[in-house]
Amino acid sequence: MSLVGCSHLQVFKKNLKNKESFKWIHAVFVVGTTHKCRKTKICNAYCRICKKRGPYLHSCLECVFFGCMKHIREHAKNNKHILTMDLIYGQIHCNSCGDYIYDGEMEAIIRENKMMSGTFRRRLFESTSWDPTDEERTYLNNKTKKICITPESTIGLRGLINLGKTCFMNCIVQVLMHTPLLRDYFLTECHKCKSKPGTCSVCEISELFQEFYRGSTVPLALNQLLHLIWTHAKHLADYKEQDAHEFFIATLDVLHCHCYESMPPPKSSKINNNEICPCIIDQIFTGELQRDIVCQKCNRVSTTVDPISNFSLGVSPITYGGEQPSLIDCLEHFTRVEYLGDNDKIMCSKCQSLQKSTIQLTIKTLPIVASFHLKRFQYSEKMEKISTSISFPEMLDMAPFIGKSKNESPFPSDNRYTLFAVINHLGNSINNGHYIAYVRQQQDFWYKCDDHVITRANLQEVLNSEGYLLFYHKHVLSYE
Amino acid sequence: MSLESKISLHLDVNNGMDRVTELVQTRLIECGWRDQVRLACRKAITESKDKQVPTVDELITTVTPRARSMVPDSVKRELLHELEMILVNVDRTGYAKHF
Repeated sequence: MSLVGCSHLQVFKKNLKNKESFKWIHAVFVVGTTHKCRKTKICNAYCRICKKRGPYLHSCLECVFFGCMKHIREHAKNNKHILTMDLIYGQIHCNSCGDYIYDGEMEAIIRENKMMSGTFRRRLFESTSWDPTDEERTYLNNKTKKICITPESTIGLRGLINLGKTCFMNCIVQVLMHTPLLRDYFLTECHKCKSKPGTCSVCEISELFQEFYRGSTVPLALNQLLHLIWTHAKHLADYKEQDAHEFFIATLDVLHCHCYESMPPPKSSKINNNEICPCIIDQIFTGELQRDIVCQKCNRVSTTVDPISNFSLGVSPITYGGEQPSLIDCLEHFTRVEYLGDNDKIMCSKCQSLQKSTIQLTIKTLPIVASFHLKRFQYSEKMEKISTSISFPEMLDMAPFIGKSKNESPFPSDNRYTLFAVINHLGNSINNGHYIAYVRQQQDFWYKCDDHVITRANLQEVLNSEGYLLFYHKHVLSYE
Repeated sequence: MSLESKISLHLDVNNGMDRVTELVQTRLIECGWRDQVRLACRKAITESKDKQVPTVDELITTVTPRARSMVPDSVKRELLHELEMILVNVDRTGYAKHF
């Protein structure tokens, strides 16, 4: 089939006014989403003969007429009008040729209209694809370094040199580099930086992604990133061994700030403190935690919602009934109803006095990447490490830990999460010891990253490890 | 106005039609229905090799009955449920606000 429509359409196209009206009809009746468009559509889009609103509603391109499949064909025949357009996909029908036709020029108009439409609609974009020109094709062939990915290929794996007790940083960087959504964001170069070169941590991460997925296997030194984090998070600027968890939080914070700075200013009102920021870091790592305090006297519930990017779960050194506690147990403990004792009475705004209360944490919004921190270090007199082994699953269903919201969507949501990285602490105390990371690569291959040494691991080895920071990725992403 | 056109007007006004079409479309792709129909169309075209290539209208008339019967019951049920939700909620409160 040629890309130039039939001769009847060519005649039609010669008149510029015809093209204009085609564009307008398409914009309003096929892709229109604004209030005005919808109003026009609702008032006019029905068959002029049988008064039905579909299916296969068409519009005549030569006069003002709408009709269902049967009546538009009759109309075209009776009035000798040739061209009509279907209002679901915007295809042009030629009655002389007796079929729908394609035309490059008209397709371009349609594409432009689709791009201008306000909301994403699947049916409209199903067939939109990039068709490279010959020039682009040769460019792609000559300038692209082709990398074939097989189960054996190690692309995306890169050792990191220990700069003197920086294994905590190396581990976190390994996890970030293997976070699927973050990788997709940076490899598609979505970060448009406005700050001075060399000062933006997001650019640094972006470059790291390029390094990691370049195909080279020489270990990298992260001196630049370390310097950037040190200058922005002063409390970490020290040659001592740091807590990987603390470093993770600080890194996300610094990245979020830089990301936010480089983003176009929000169109509407200021962003609320409680709302999740539209930057990529918060979109991936931040969820919302709901805290309900219930007064035991009047049953008044006071609710606060806070952003949360990491779930710190208590680890009890005692095992209950000899059974190995699991991550699920920790989460149940985290979201349990807690009775506050006589010493912790809370001011109730209804009773106007201090009252006994209960407190409960639930997850209001789940982040796309849920990271769990198992509190293995007790900050008591002695810094002790709790080495209780906690089992964690490969697939985790978070549904039981979500708070019930009033305006639930009618679709049941999928809240399953898959494990993609684990950080372990080796050693007995927080001040000395070593961090290693397990990361998942290419769906189901696991690798152990111990500074510059990377070895292949398997899932069982990962699940049997002690676990300090656990990273889960949402299994099915939903539309917003 | 007939009940049928009243309902479809209601759906249009509340943007329900878009929601419903999007839902059905997603489900039909997920369950492989679209690929089946695509195959059926391809078959109809290749079979008519000696004769003229069928027009879209002719394809629609030949493929539609089979395509309709291939729609899984679960999709129909979900669609019905969704429509009920929309039409019942319209009478209650401010449904239109959410969409």
